[in-house]
Amino acid sequence: MALLALTNVTKVYQVGAVAVHALRGIDLMVEKNEYVSIMGPSGSGKSTLMNVIGCLDTPTSGTYILDGKTVHDDNIGQNGNGKLSEDELAFIRNQKIGFVFQTFNLLPRITALHNVELPLIYAGIHKKERIEMAKEALRKVNLEDRMHHQPNELSGGQRQRVAIARALVNNPSILLADEPTGNLDSVTSREIMKLMDKLHDEGNTIILVTHETEIAQHAHRIVHLLDGKIDRDETTPKGNS
Amino acid sequence: MGVIFESVVMAIKAILQNKTRAFLTMLGIIIGILSVSLMGTAISGIDQVFESSIEGMGQDVLYVQKYPWFMVNDEWWEYRNRPEIKEEYAEQILERASSIAFATPSSSRSDEVKYKKNTVEGVEINGTTWQEAYISALKLESGRFFSEPESRYGSRVIVIGYDIKTALFPNEDPLGKEITIRGNKFRVIGVIAQQGKFLGLMSMDNIVIVPLKAFQMLYGRRRGISISVKPKDGIPVEQAKEELTFIMRGLRKLKPRDENDFAINQQEAFRQQFANIRFAIRAVGLGITALSLIVGGIGIMNIMFVSVRERTKEIGIRKALGAKKSIILFQFLSEAVIISLIGGIIGILLTVGLVGVVQRFFVANLSFGLVVISLLVSILTGVLSGIIPANQAARLNPIEAIRYE
Repeated sequence: MALLALTNVTKVYQVGAVAVHALRGIDLMVEKNEYVSIMGPSGSGKSTLMNVIGCLDTPTSGTYILDGKTVHDDNIGQNGNGKLSEDELAFIRNQKIGFVFQTFNLLPRITALHNVELPLIYAGIHKKERIEMAKEALRKVNLEDRMHHQPNELSGGQRQRVAIARALVNNPSILLADEPTGNLDSVTSREIMKLMDKLHDEGNTIILVTHETEIAQHAHRIVHLLDGKIDRDETTPKGNS
Repeated sequence: MGVIFESVVMAIKAILQNKTRAFLTMLGIIIGILSVSLMGTAISGIDQVFESSIEGMGQDVLYVQKYPWFMVNDEWWEYRNRPEIKEEYAEQILERASSIAFATPSSSRSDEVKYKKNTVEGVEINGTTWQEAYISALKLESGRFFSEPESRYGSRVIVIGYDIKTALFPNEDPLGKEITIRGNKFRVIGVIAQQGKFLGLMSMDNIVIVPLKAFQMLYGRRRGISISVKPKDGIPVEQAKEELTFIMRGLRKLKPRDENDFAINQQEAFRQQFANIRFAIRAVGLGITALSLIVGGIGIMNIMFVSVRERTKEIGIRKALGAKKSIILFQFLSEAVIISLIGGIIGILLTVGLVGVVQRFFVANLSFGLVVISLLVSILTGVLSGIIPANQAARLNPIEAIRYE
């Protein structure tokens, strides 16, 4: 069974009187430990798809099953839990999704360690265990020595590594990275992508949203979006090897 | 549990990041709680003073007088034409009544008293009989009250109040000394124990008591008389009052349809009058307090809206990481409550200081109950003013919030 299965997913936004069709029937399966890039020009529905996969948003119609859990299913009514509540979505995000954002999105004025602790706090894990887990995650991204620094005392690359540690700390089903190198220089970008590759090698499932071909090539599979539909779904040289 | 603790910690951190702003916001609550606790202290102080003041009046004593103690302005003109209360009534009442133990006529006026070079002005000179000692349950510090024969013959003996003793006899024992009123010498036979001040303002120790006959020799017989009446032990005041009214109507020869042309006053009248004043003070106090707390609460609400707006992105991030609505709500609500509670604590501390100063002039005590109430009120203010902004934060859409710059 696929880790992630979207079937005929649509998303329609109502902007004033106009209905914007951001997704027009997406069918997508991602297996465990896959490394997938989602590419497409702006307005192609990349962000919307990422929000839906990340459970930040729900589809207008279609079915979305993540790690055996039905996130959205038109055919099951509200009572059958075909549509999850905000808090249920928050729980899934906390347990199954690790977000990495273009702008890092670390909380300012708290330490790197505390930033990494946040998902564990919301998961209700006790302080002692939580700190151990957060330190372990920071060790994985080679930032153990910087854990007591605040984000503004860290470089861009370091900040993104803290964000990656935060995404990893609760052992999510998917690591969801939205333009993770968009705000970084080329040297740092390579460093971050090396880290992503390593995390994939360690067994993580990674979905990477980007518009840079070079970055996308790190994945084993590239899904091209156009006008809210999947235009092409190709396997990269890395995927063939 | 852990999440709640963390939320409180985060709220405290958020407050510490904006100390000046938080303090200015607190000011409103500080003033509000200051007015709550000061008002409460003042009211309980007034209550205490009142109770201790009327204690000396004797709870079950009835006073037959021409005028009632409390009347509306223009009523005075009606009462004015009433016949005077006569001295003889006291004995007649005692003869006829079965429920009354003591009844004594008394009269008073203000005058000056002298001893050697010392003079005290504005002393309340009371003329009464030996029965007064039993009616008002006077406590003597030294000496004795005058006896029945002294009373009957109008002996020149005098019982003095505590203030008179300290003013006229700073360094000697007053007993047996002779003090002068209007050129007449009176021998001091007793000193009344200190009674304190009525409502904390008027001294009740600035008095002297002489036999009524002696009083009348000084000031004539035409002065208004008041008759103090004490029921027998075990007889309810109201029952005695009923009999007293009946006897007085008989003495005045009133027909059944006539209205009473005398007043029977009792401590209860004071109590009722005071209850009205107290109610007014409370209503006004509550109004002022509520108003200042509302202003303080609006201040908190305002700053919480700003805080939610400033931290929209943070809220978005927290939600993306799995914070549920209730956690976000709790975090912002606890921020509002902490600001309010700290304001409340500061307000109480200021009150403690102020009460310490006021205590030198007036009875004032900050009770533990009042402290608890003040703290609860400040928490409640925090909750009420924080709930709307916190709810707004909790309902933010994570996608929009996270993009907010």
